[in-house]
Amino acid sequence: MIDFVNVKKAYPNGTMALKGVNLHIDDGEFIFIVGHSGAGKTTLMKLLLREEKPSSGKLVVGDYNLTEMSNFKVPYYRRELGVVFQDFRLFPKKTVYENVAFAMEVVGTPKKMIRRRVPAILNTVNLTGKQDSFPHEISGGEQQRVALARALANNPKVIIADEPTGNIDPRMSLEIMNLLVKINKLGKTVIVVTHDKDLVDYHKQRVVMLQEGYIIDDHVGGMFS
Amino acid sequence: MRRYNLFYFIGQALHGLFRNGVMTFASIAVLMSCLIVTGGFSLLVLNIDLNLEQFDLLKEIVVFCPPLATEEEVTAVGEQIKKLDNVANVERVTKAEALADVKEESDVYDDVTEEQIQDYMPESFVITYIDNERVSTLDYQLKQIEGIYKVNNRLDLASTIESLKSGVMLIFIWFLAVLMLVSVFIIVNTVKLSVFARRNEISIMRYVGATGWFITLPFIFEGIIIGLIASVAGYFVEWYVYGYIEKMMTTDLQMISIVGFGSISHIVLAAFIGVGVATGIVGSMISLGKYLNK
Repeated sequence: MIDFVNVKKAYPNGTMALKGVNLHIDDGEFIFIVGHSGAGKTTLMKLLLREEKPSSGKLVVGDYNLTEMSNFKVPYYRRELGVVFQDFRLFPKKTVYENVAFAMEVVGTPKKMIRRRVPAILNTVNLTGKQDSFPHEISGGEQQRVALARALANNPKVIIADEPTGNIDPRMSLEIMNLLVKINKLGKTVIVVTHDKDLVDYHKQRVVMLQEGYIIDDHVGGMFS
Repeated sequence: MRRYNLFYFIGQALHGLFRNGVMTFASIAVLMSCLIVTGGFSLLVLNIDLNLEQFDLLKEIVVFCPPLATEEEVTAVGEQIKKLDNVANVERVTKAEALADVKEESDVYDDVTEEQIQDYMPESFVITYIDNERVSTLDYQLKQIEGIYKVNNRLDLASTIESLKSGVMLIFIWFLAVLMLVSVFIIVNTVKLSVFARRNEISIMRYVGATGWFITLPFIFEGIIIGLIASVAGYFVEWYVYGYIEKMMTTDLQMISIVGFGSISHIVLAAFIGVGVATGIVGSMISLGKYLNK
């Protein structure tokens, strides 16, 4: 469960990025966050990732109250999230397997479990057989699937995808979105921040539209207007 | 979940050090040079101190009783001197001993007998004192004792030695501070470069929930490894250079005493490693401050 209660965010330079956001996301929901540049999408993402703290209001994700949480707890909170970026952020000198395993290594997962789990995750994102390839040897869509596999590595409750289809061709975009839907059906909450009108309309999920720091629309069934 | 073993962090640290080979080399070279210069300076201070200790022979005051003082009066003077605070040793020089001394210095006294000197050769006391800094107080106290008619001291020399010692120490401390600052600055830059090269990796680590310590430990180990290599290498260079100077001094300048490297080698090595590693850790921590709390 994610709850934004009258969340406001002002940056030190005076920019008011969010001007009172109220948003409730249930466990297992699939939600698109849409809006033009400067609408507040990135700030909303940063608040969810706890890169920034709200200036006022209350933000709760599961058992964590992000408004009051100490810095010490941030890493443990982030283990509950899986993050996918537009630019993939893969390690060019690590294989597909190593890129996924890395996420598990940094949280101290035993090697035996890593060896068992990584192939299973790669299978979920349809990358079986590519585990020894390096990022430059696979397509953009496949690279984003590796990033998705890495986001799933620590079995997070929430997947946050920031423009996941921004750097890949339309056919691959649909595949990535289908994967996100598949992951959502596994019981995970999926939040997708995107500009891609066609994808939003095609998938007919809940859409939250931001404009100038406010939520101006929140409905189910696509329609990016 | 398991706890990470040390080898993971050391492995990552070595990887980082090789990736920034040039800066690593520069850091090691600068820190090593600083340690050698600082160590050399410390050894110089140690040797200056050793040689100045020879001046301790000069830590003496001679007081004279009147030539006609009785045995009881001279003994009483000796007792009073012994009670003074800054006195390490008191040695009485009798008239006969004084005559023997002057006879050694000049043959003018060859024919003088002990009986002939009874009326004009004074009894004296050679006082060895403890602390140069309090010598003027001692001098004053001695002059207050009834039965002493003359006090011979070397106050000027004592004060010269003291100011020389404190001057050398002051320069030494400044040297140490400046050189350590330079070393920390260089290490900060090396680790910052390493952090910059791995910024992508660090950002992903943070998003998947790595703790601050997990992210920073490899970089702290980088600092430790730089410190260790620089200190051990610096120790051997210091050993070689000092050995060379020691040999030269003992053959050419025999009047100067020099501390043997063998007797202090373990202290030098421990100090080098201690200072080197501490500098490495401080350098790393400074460049990583913001990651430790996120």
